[in-house]
Amino acid sequence: MLKFIFSIVLMLAIMPAFSQEQKTDTVQKPKTQKYGIRVGADLYRFARSFYDDDFQGFEIVADYRLTKKIYAAGEIGNTKITVDDDQLNFTTNGSYIKIGFDYNAYENWLDMENMIYVGFRYGFSSYSQTLNSYKIYDDSGYFEQTVVYPNQEYSGLSAHWLEFVGGIKAELFNNLYLGFSVRLKALITDKKPDNFDNLYIPGFNRTYDGSFGAGFNYTLSYTIPLYKRAK
Amino acid sequence: MKKIITVFLLALLTAVSFWSCEKDDICAEGTATTPSLIIEFYNRDNRTDPKNVTYFSYFSANLDTIGPLNSENRIEVPLRTDTTATTWNFRLGSSQLGEITYNTDVITFNYETKELYISRACGFKSYFTLNSQSGSTPQPVVIENPEGDDDLWMQDYTIEESNIENEDEVHVKIYF
Repeated sequence: MLKFIFSIVLMLAIMPAFSQEQKTDTVQKPKTQKYGIRVGADLYRFARSFYDDDFQGFEIVADYRLTKKIYAAGEIGNTKITVDDDQLNFTTNGSYIKIGFDYNAYENWLDMENMIYVGFRYGFSSYSQTLNSYKIYDDSGYFEQTVVYPNQEYSGLSAHWLEFVGGIKAELFNNLYLGFSVRLKALITDKKPDNFDNLYIPGFNRTYDGSFGAGFNYTLSYTIPLYKRAK
Repeated sequence: MKKIITVFLLALLTAVSFWSCEKDDICAEGTATTPSLIIEFYNRDNRTDPKNVTYFSYFSANLDTIGPLNSENRIEVPLRTDTTATTWNFRLGSSQLGEITYNTDVITFNYETKELYISRACGFKSYFTLNSQSGSTPQPVVIENPEGDDDLWMQDYTIEESNIENEDEVHVKIYF
């Protein structure tokens, strides 16, 4: 929850920057916009790898501007996470790729190139699940719960899903962007381990009700300008 | 357009923060988890005739005693999931001239276990299969006398269902 509050505060901090930009500088300049490829990394996953012993991962993000408002966008990443629930302890390890489009709904002034965008992604992940331990649930509660340590690895698993994205990207300095996005996900198909489940999928994150997920990222990225084009 | 997008973003944020409340973390009551063995008591002289136990209590090892039960003919007996045998003490009381005398029998169930995944919140459950009555494995049900107790009150048993997968059916009938 803390991480969401942090993200929202950050977003609110960036918002006024957008509105102020609109007031300044009303001199008419030739309107050209940069087109190029923007690459970056997710700061949240990068940071979490340091402070959370149970998490190791990274996410590289990129987008390529197709038209004034539309960007082809994608992410690739790797996640290794150990989840310790009351009844289960498991480790998920794998890689993912997401591709899709972003639509910039923000009307920029002059040569500003900020974004408030919505988009979608198709996501694919290939991973393994290792069931470290589990408890056998007996609601009679007469005997103590048995804990089993099978240390069983289920490899060769995969999942496909769709993601709806909403986010912002603000240009901090020339070509350097800070971004934040939230994502809602719906699983299309997944290959489940035998006698276990995909409780976490790299890139999809925790599965809710077996097929829904949510996530966010917090990116720093840099645009490599390729050409300029009139608006 | 801009308005729609703003609303969409807010909705997305709200949904994401609600979802982080992790609602499916508690194993819901009524979930089919590890079943207990269901025993029904019958009259040894008229084997189709249900017979109620009196002043009946039961316990395993040095754990809590369940009961006393009066006028019931169906009991639920939890089985251990960490091993393939569970021993219970079944104590039946009878009232004679206002004084209750007890007779304890030791009953052991021998079985195999099979573990099945339920859910994130519940973990796994175990199914049991009672050993077959013919074979080199221990008998599915063994009734013995504890030391210093002379006779058995349980005369006989039948296995109605050797696969213990739910608590809706009767698995063992005991005649006394």
